[in-house]
Amino acid sequence: MRLLVIEDEDRLSGILKSKLGDVGFTVDIASSTLDANAALELINYDAAVLDLGLPDGDGLAVLAAARRIGKALPILILTARDAVEDRVAGLNAGADDYLTKPFAMSELIARINALLRRPGGVLGIKLEAGNVRLDTVGRELTVAGTPVRLSRRELAILEQMMRRFGRIVPKTVLEEKLYGIDEEPDSNPIPVHVHHLRRQLEAANASLAIHTIRGVGYILAETRL
Amino acid sequence: MRRRIKSLQLRLSIELAALFLVASCLAIGGLIYGASLTAGSLANRELGLRVEDLVSHVSLDQAGRPRLELPPGLRQAYDTAAQQSVFAILDKDGRLVEASTPELGAMIGRSPPADTEPSYFQLSHFGPLGQNYSGVGMRLDSAAGPLSLMVAQVSGGDQLVHSILREFVFDTAWYVPPFVALALLLATYSVRRSLRPLRTASAQATDIGPGSISIRLPEADVPTEALPLVIAVNRALDRLEQGFTIQRRFTANAAHELRTPLTIITARLDSLEGNGEVSALREEVARMNRLVEQLLCVARLDSVVLDVSAPVDLRQIAEEVVGSMAHLALASSRSIALTGAEHPVRITGNAEAIADALRNLVENALAHTRPETEVIVEVGSEGVLSVLDSGPGIPLNDRPRIFDRFWRGKGARSEGAGLGLAIVMEIVRAHGASIAVSDRTPCGARLDLRFRPA
Repeated sequence: MRLLVIEDEDRLSGILKSKLGDVGFTVDIASSTLDANAALELINYDAAVLDLGLPDGDGLAVLAAARRIGKALPILILTARDAVEDRVAGLNAGADDYLTKPFAMSELIARINALLRRPGGVLGIKLEAGNVRLDTVGRELTVAGTPVRLSRRELAILEQMMRRFGRIVPKTVLEEKLYGIDEEPDSNPIPVHVHHLRRQLEAANASLAIHTIRGVGYILAETRL
Repeated sequence: MRRRIKSLQLRLSIELAALFLVASCLAIGGLIYGASLTAGSLANRELGLRVEDLVSHVSLDQAGRPRLELPPGLRQAYDTAAQQSVFAILDKDGRLVEASTPELGAMIGRSPPADTEPSYFQLSHFGPLGQNYSGVGMRLDSAAGPLSLMVAQVSGGDQLVHSILREFVFDTAWYVPPFVALALLLATYSVRRSLRPLRTASAQATDIGPGSISIRLPEADVPTEALPLVIAVNRALDRLEQGFTIQRRFTANAAHELRTPLTIITARLDSLEGNGEVSALREEVARMNRLVEQLLCVARLDSVVLDVSAPVDLRQIAEEVVGSMAHLALASSRSIALTGAEHPVRITGNAEAIADALRNLVENALAHTRPETEVIVEVGSEGVLSVLDSGPGIPLNDRPRIFDRFWRGKGARSEGAGLGLAIVMEIVRAHGASIAVSDRTPCGARLDLRFRPA
């Protein structure tokens, strides 16, 4: 997996390169908008991490240029600016996610993985968290290597949770995703499906647990050892 | 203390009214004075004519002494019991020729007029009837030699004046009050009209707020007298806007300068193999990260006035905050929940700031409760955000001070810098909201942020 990190601070880009390298990414560094534009044009990166404050211009210009030449790769903005206007401007310009400095490296890696897992993303087909693997196309689930059978609804719920692993999945999002999954009238509300899913994960000794955040939604997280 | 009238319009109107009143009084007074002068001179002229008339009837008798021979009609006029007109005549030797009434005869004997110029006099309570007279005395030549005369008439000349004045008031003076009223009305209207651009400017000024500091007052159509003020206000707004911009840029730059090195330190520490020292350092850096965030937040709140005019949905904010803090709660073995209104709760405010405040309250609650307890965020449909925990509660004595900057409770663990609740307070103040601390049963604290309804 090849990433472009656009960052002018040498020390930070060095750390990013080594850290992201540790988890299996191939990282190129661009330290100016000129370099970044050239790199994005030449190479089809799987994702890019973009710092907004660059010595020869605004990172948003790089973003706009990439989108203009038809590059659809996920781009995560990394910046020290945290004013709402900046965030809105970044997302409006076509960024896929936004992370403010200072950040934990684990968070950055999780966000990049989440972007890659999006439908259409490179990791979109096979999701993996803990000892749970889900093939979203073949609809096959294995826990610690053993196949587990789930209903379509439970699979759909699990897929949403794995795509946003470690982050909240609002109940409303689940409702939207489940709506129209098939035409059979279904009286079971989402909590019932989640309850079944949770029991089956437990039964299969999954290293993941579904936490209910009452009033908001669910979080899939690794069980503490 | 003297109270000053603040309304320019009222002041102008009052002063104009006073001016018109004085002017019309002067005009009417002048006319009355003129009329009475005219009436007076008419009376004097009549007296003069009588003097000449009397003199023309004086002739010398056989003894060579002056003698008055009035035609019967005239004699009758002077002899009436009413004593309307009286006269007295002296000859050149000071002897009385004739007096229509003895009192006047006595008077002319005491002080005979010696001048050929007429000298006018007034007599009050004079004669047998005690009437008021105006009269003239003079010396003049006649067919019978030089004579001194006094002629007086009951002051009926006033009647003439009164009739003239009556005529004047009825024919002329009545139009003065309506004219004054009309002029006043016109003046008031024109003052109102000339002040209208100022009212427009005021309306525009009410729109100027922290979120719209680029608005300027309209300078067109403003009266010349008020223009310097409007221009000065606009210049002042220019300078304020500049100041705001500089402050914002400073805060943004400071944030950048502090955050980048912190990120590097965090990342470097992450890559070190963890022994006890390293994980202690990591905790310190995490604390420092948090402190820098809070200091930046305080700086931002101090330097930039919050724009609290946007429509926001408290339910949505609560959902986002609870969602984003869920992992933090789980990581510290606590749970978090959202209860209350399930529908949007709309108020006007600043969504980002309210989320900041709520985040600080939740962080505080998580830090002060035991593991395996639940922190509840509750949305009240009347615009209330509440955070409920099951911790020890907040002692009554501490409640007034918990919102002070850098204040920390006695038993507080060392993590917090004591800025979280101060930030909450700033945000509450900016929204004109209120915050209330209370106890929960059986244990725990409840903090209610009560916003003004939209």
